Amino acid sequence: MAIKNKKIDLSVKFCGVNFENPFMLSSSPVSDCYEMCKNAFNAGWGGVVYKTLNLEKKFKVIMPSPRLNALHYDGKRVIGLQNVEQITDRNIKDNIKDIKRLKKEFPNKVLVSSIMGYSDEDWTELAALSEEAGADMIELNFSCPQMAREGAGHKVGQSYELMTEFTRATKKGTKLPVLAKMTPNITDMVPAAMAAKAGGADGISAINTVKAITAVDVNLLTPLPNISGNSSISGYSGAAVKPIALRFMAELARDKKLKLPISGMGGITTWIDAVEFILLGAGTLQVTTSIMRYGQRIVEDLKEGMLDYMIEKGFKSVSDMIGKALPTVVDPSVLPHKKQAFSVIDKDKCVGCGQCYISCMDGAHQAISLDKNRKAEVDEKKCVGCLMCYHVCPVDGAITYKYDKFNFKTH
Amino acid sequence: MELKTTKKQVKPQRTFNLQHALAEAERCLLCHDAPCSKGCPAGTDPGKFIRQLRFRNVKGAIRTIRKNNILGGICAEVCPTCKLCVERCSRTGIDRPIMINQIQSFLMNHQYDIKFSAFDKDSVVKTKKKIAVIGSGPSGLACAAELALLGHEAVIFEKNEKPGGVLTYGIPYLRLSPETLANDIKEVVGMGVKIKCGAKAAGKNAVSDLLKKGYDAVFVACGLSQSNILKIDGSQLAGNYTWSDFLEMSNDPKLRAKAAKMVSGQNVVVIGGGSVAIDAAVSAKKLGAEKVYVISLEALNELPADIEEIELAHKNNIIFKPQCRIVKIKGDGKKVTGLDGTETEWIKKGLPVPSNARDVKGCEFSLKAGVIVHAIGSRVDSDAVEMLKGAGVKISEDNKAKVDANYRTSAAKVFAGGDMIASGRKLNTVAAAVYDGKTAAMAIHNFLTSTKKGGIK
Repeated sequence: MAIKNKKIDLSVKFCGVNFENPFMLSSSPVSDCYEMCKNAFNAGWGGVVYKTLNLEKKFKVIMPSPRLNALHYDGKRVIGLQNVEQITDRNIKDNIKDIKRLKKEFPNKVLVSSIMGYSDEDWTELAALSEEAGADMIELNFSCPQMAREGAGHKVGQSYELMTEFTRATKKGTKLPVLAKMTPNITDMVPAAMAAKAGGADGISAINTVKAITAVDVNLLTPLPNISGNSSISGYSGAAVKPIALRFMAELARDKKLKLPISGMGGITTWIDAVEFILLGAGTLQVTTSIMRYGQRIVEDLKEGMLDYMIEKGFKSVSDMIGKALPTVVDPSVLPHKKQAFSVIDKDKCVGCGQCYISCMDGAHQAISLDKNRKAEVDEKKCVGCLMCYHVCPVDGAITYKYDKFNFKTH
Repeated sequence: MELKTTKKQVKPQRTFNLQHALAEAERCLLCHDAPCSKGCPAGTDPGKFIRQLRFRNVKGAIRTIRKNNILGGICAEVCPTCKLCVERCSRTGIDRPIMINQIQSFLMNHQYDIKFSAFDKDSVVKTKKKIAVIGSGPSGLACAAELALLGHEAVIFEKNEKPGGVLTYGIPYLRLSPETLANDIKEVVGMGVKIKCGAKAAGKNAVSDLLKKGYDAVFVACGLSQSNILKIDGSQLAGNYTWSDFLEMSNDPKLRAKAAKMVSGQNVVVIGGGSVAIDAAVSAKKLGAEKVYVISLEALNELPADIEEIELAHKNNIIFKPQCRIVKIKGDGKKVTGLDGTETEWIKKGLPVPSNARDVKGCEFSLKAGVIVHAIGSRVDSDAVEMLKGAGVKISEDNKAKVDANYRTSAAKVFAGGDMIASGRKLNTVAAAVYDGKTAAMAIHNFLTSTKKGGIK
């Protein structure tokens, strides 16, 4: 028996292209070849952004080894992932053959061809090759942070003129919709996106990885990954970067001049993450790190969870949700300052660990004390409602908050 | 009458909330080709529902359980998971296995908390086929539910006053909460299954009558509702009970006071070493028995009962007399007063079967006892045997229905499943009965919807 609700599905139209669902592999190690993309389509992903093509006649990509390092924190593995891998090191002919085969076998799935050139002619040629192979869209890689070639990747993404020029060159080679993929390694993404728009970009993809060093080997005195004694600052991704990605989502989506569809990415693992991106303006979603960590199977939970959410909330389509949280994202100067919260502690649930006490005493406003049974108590007169206690409390529902009946407190 | 129990001691696993369940799911290694899923006789697929929970697809996790195992709530409470899914958990290689049954229990309770319906009943296409299910135990319930999902009309005939069969009458309410039982049965009824209680399908024409009445097929799942009594001196005396009579009495709130009066101040001896024996022993103790003994031919480490159940018995001061047998039940002419027994040993080591036991001389003993509970297995009851024979169903030497891989009996349009079939299964669990029921339902569906109407070999 079908469990699916007949009236609602996850289909979405993005830059004029129909997606059966908004979930795509991003251009990365997970979309490196026919086999991986085929498996992803069969697993239920709506589309793939094929790993970035280049014309290797000018520059041969050689991958460093080892090429990954991960951040493990507090017993959780791979909170974030650092990657020194570059764009594809496979032969352009083989990749084009794979793209053709994928589109032939999966005509209803979306295939986005990610490309990177080093001159106007390169971009034009790669765009034309992609269109000819059957791609539905083109994504411009303006943002790989670890290209071993001078002036490529995110160096382009930091130069507005080059972005305009290369986008224009791409549009010369194709009629397909073109997405410009942005680097977050920049102060403000909006002018960069505007530069791509000036060159004719139809949409924006964001964010590429964040430049980072995940760890330093304190015995060998070298950051990780240790590549024969050296390491590089390189792209960081996964759950840890989601807050940064969401910030860029909101900034791009609420800009009144930009007004381009956004393919959002950066740390998406659960359907809740995915909905967050959409509520802040994303129209489609891209995933890599959580696939590397948990496998393509997560798409089942992304889809089922999102559909259940839509039914529960009464959203009729994915498009219905796009940007729905944006109106509430305001400048700090206009935040409402009418009410003040204070913490409320449920002593029946409190286990007496005192974490809230420590945080409040040493990091906040000395408003919490422990009673003779070690249960936490709030002095409402001192509490300013910062809610640090609420965030450190290990028991769900033990600390909540209410709005204050007292006058606004200043300290 | 309510029995005094400390809930924590009896059922610690009913305490998971969403936070606990998520924390436990986060311990899961999300194995490729999950071994736990392969260990479930019902095919409940814990590997999948734990992954769904882990990725916050909570409703999806509930759907997975209900879809695969309509009695997911009951199984979470009574399944010997440490012999099944939990035994195979890869996490054990690091520290300790995932508490799969607790996660499952949480999800099943959570379904009711959030009033979530796991099935979209409106999308079921009705077939106008009608199937009679005899017996409302786990197999009958699972079969009827699956048939309803496939669009057929399923009617269950239950001889007792209340539905559930062994779930209602054979498992102590201390081990399976009546709430969970009621919720799972409600789930089955919610799918459109009709359960007719007090409707005994008996007699040699019972099955053919049903077919004549317009039922397109019959699924027989009567279980093993007649319990065995040890045939020795004194087993005819008052004070001898079968496990099913005893547990039925202690499970029924109306009869419980009578059971309590019966054992109060008396020593109770339970014969047997399986889960049922432990259930009876713990129930007797909770009812107020003085000393409770469990006498078994098996050594402690050979008992068929779960280690958790044995621990529960220890906590309740049950006295084990392993590798012993009863020689004679003593009485005052009317009532049981005690017994004579002896220690035994295995003639050939490592072969714990009754025919391999012999008495150890000089190790005889006597016990004082007012009640003897026989927990040495059950059989297909004689009415059901008559019904099977009347329907033309071939039966095995121990009166169990013979079926093929599709649960078809030798009689046309008659299928059977659950404990009453000759399955050769080593461990009869609720989960295995559920598997029989749902798989048989699919076979019945194929039989009724396929164009080939071949006879049954």
